[in-house]
Amino acid sequence: MKAQIFSGILVAGFLAVGFAGAPAASRANSRQANSASKDALPFPKAPRITAEDVEQMIKDGKGVVIVDTDDSESYAAEHIKGSVNIVYDPTTDASAEDQSLSALPGDKMLVFYCNCPHEEDSAPLVLEMQQLGYDPAKVKALQGGLTRWEQLHYPLAGSDVDKTAQTGQ
Amino acid sequence: MGRWAKTIEMECNIPAIGIASSNIVHYATGYVDKYQTGMSIRWVSVPFPFTGQPKAVDVGYVEGKDMLTGQPLMSAVTKALTDPLTAAEKISGKPPEEAIEPRLLPADTEDNLRLLFDNKEWTDFNSIILPTEKLVMAMLKGTSHKPDEVVKTINITGGARQLTVEKVAINAVMAGASPEHFPVILALSTQAPFGNSTSSMANMVVINGPIRNKLNFNCGTNAMGPYNRSNAVVGRAFTLMSKTAGDLRNNVNAWETLGNTMQYNNNTYGENEEALPGGWEPLHVQMGFKASDNVVTVGTGWSSIASVGASQSIYPTQNLMRDYISSFCASGSAATVVMDPTVAGLLKDTHGFQTKEQLSEWFSQNVQKTAGSYWGNGVIQSTAVPFALQGLEPYASWRKLPDDALIKPFTNPRAIHVVVAGGKVQTMWFVTDFGFRKGVSIDDWA
Repeated sequence: MKAQIFSGILVAGFLAVGFAGAPAASRANSRQANSASKDALPFPKAPRITAEDVEQMIKDGKGVVIVDTDDSESYAAEHIKGSVNIVYDPTTDASAEDQSLSALPGDKMLVFYCNCPHEEDSAPLVLEMQQLGYDPAKVKALQGGLTRWEQLHYPLAGSDVDKTAQTGQ
Repeated sequence: MGRWAKTIEMECNIPAIGIASSNIVHYATGYVDKYQTGMSIRWVSVPFPFTGQPKAVDVGYVEGKDMLTGQPLMSAVTKALTDPLTAAEKISGKPPEEAIEPRLLPADTEDNLRLLFDNKEWTDFNSIILPTEKLVMAMLKGTSHKPDEVVKTINITGGARQLTVEKVAINAVMAGASPEHFPVILALSTQAPFGNSTSSMANMVVINGPIRNKLNFNCGTNAMGPYNRSNAVVGRAFTLMSKTAGDLRNNVNAWETLGNTMQYNNNTYGENEEALPGGWEPLHVQMGFKASDNVVTVGTGWSSIASVGASQSIYPTQNLMRDYISSFCASGSAATVVMDPTVAGLLKDTHGFQTKEQLSEWFSQNVQKTAGSYWGNGVIQSTAVPFALQGLEPYASWRKLPDDALIKPFTNPRAIHVVVAGGKVQTMWFVTDFGFRKGVSIDDWA
């Protein structure tokens, strides 16, 4: 018996959509996708909090966990005093960090920050925390990030900070 | 590790190598090395496993031989760092792209096409419906969304890939779904691919809202068994799209050491909303949706333990659930209890849990395990230990406790979920370590 010939079968898999350059392109696309124009706030659905408000909450003894999203070398050099580090790589999905993110306490205010002007690397993790079921009112991105914290001369830690303190500069 | 070694070499001009266990080196020198690190770096390999071994064993590895070359390990390290680069190692820049798959396959016999799909690992190795243009076009009529709309961009090892509505339709056809299932499968595709971890993860897919009845999802007797088409095809579609869109291929980039049989159907079922006790809200309503919304919710975890029989009066049901939950690792405080409506009624009417939230809070307050058991888990080691070392509470304090000290590791009651399903045949339940992400609207994909 002659076998029936099937034609017009659509391909289910995905091979090679610009393999080598893809991660960088992804990063750029991701940022563009979340920024309607040059001046628009990236990831506008991620709630923000000011550095002043965070500092006040710390002074008042309210439970705040601050999360630095920069790479571990940058974190080791300088970070907000008392913060913990969860590295966010914008070339991967934010969900890649789910195991670490979900280990953060659910009963405290969680403040994510990055060393970037418009929370480009902290806001995605704030949104991911919402996806993980955390109370949206208790997870925020630090407006202005590390730069704003430095401008206000709030406490910092890290090897660069220690060096500066030792040399008195 | 390969990426870091390459960065040190390229940016700091310092020779660097990777030292890893044999299983990781096998992985790293294959697919990942080619497409993630771009250029080759040198590796030295120790036996696997080294975690969980006495220190003497690890010292033996250092004093032993490199698994790749057979040389003494430290000599291999020195040699790898100092030998001049070979011609192949001097190649830099981007690796060549793989050939792009055509949208359509050449005409062939059914047998040959099935073989091709299996060889490409585009299936779960059960028979599929071959996705002809005609069938895929029919599937696309199940949604108002355009075929070329990008549902999401998936960053996989080989790069960023766009999962389009048409690609999802192809998988839906392959799974045996009908066009009316398509909005559910599209909503589910926003959560693809499923977990891919050496720890052998699994998923749970819960359907809520009126669509359960419209599409005849099974929420009652045998809700979690192979007795219903909608449950079967939607769950299977998630597997197929995870494998194809996630480019998951065995021993290439899928390295789940045992795998998990739950990945065949992903525990797909509907919540028995009609049988919820008064005051107990459906899962999607707990997540902020309206009761009239249609929602699919995906959980990820590893394990499930059954009550193995009916609830007994001599030991309160919640206590037995608590005991069983304590055997889970508590990663992310996650646990999900799936219970028959009769159990839900028992917990409310006899034991006083007026809402699901009260029961979740009770578990959070009452599930205990020893610090030794908690820290002895591999996932906890990789997630909570870094926080403990950085001083984050409660991990920092727990780390100082003796092994036999009791802790309450399910600190976040919002991560403990309760779902009611089943046919009121027996007072039976499962406790699982599944953690749910926020549900996804099915209506948005109609």
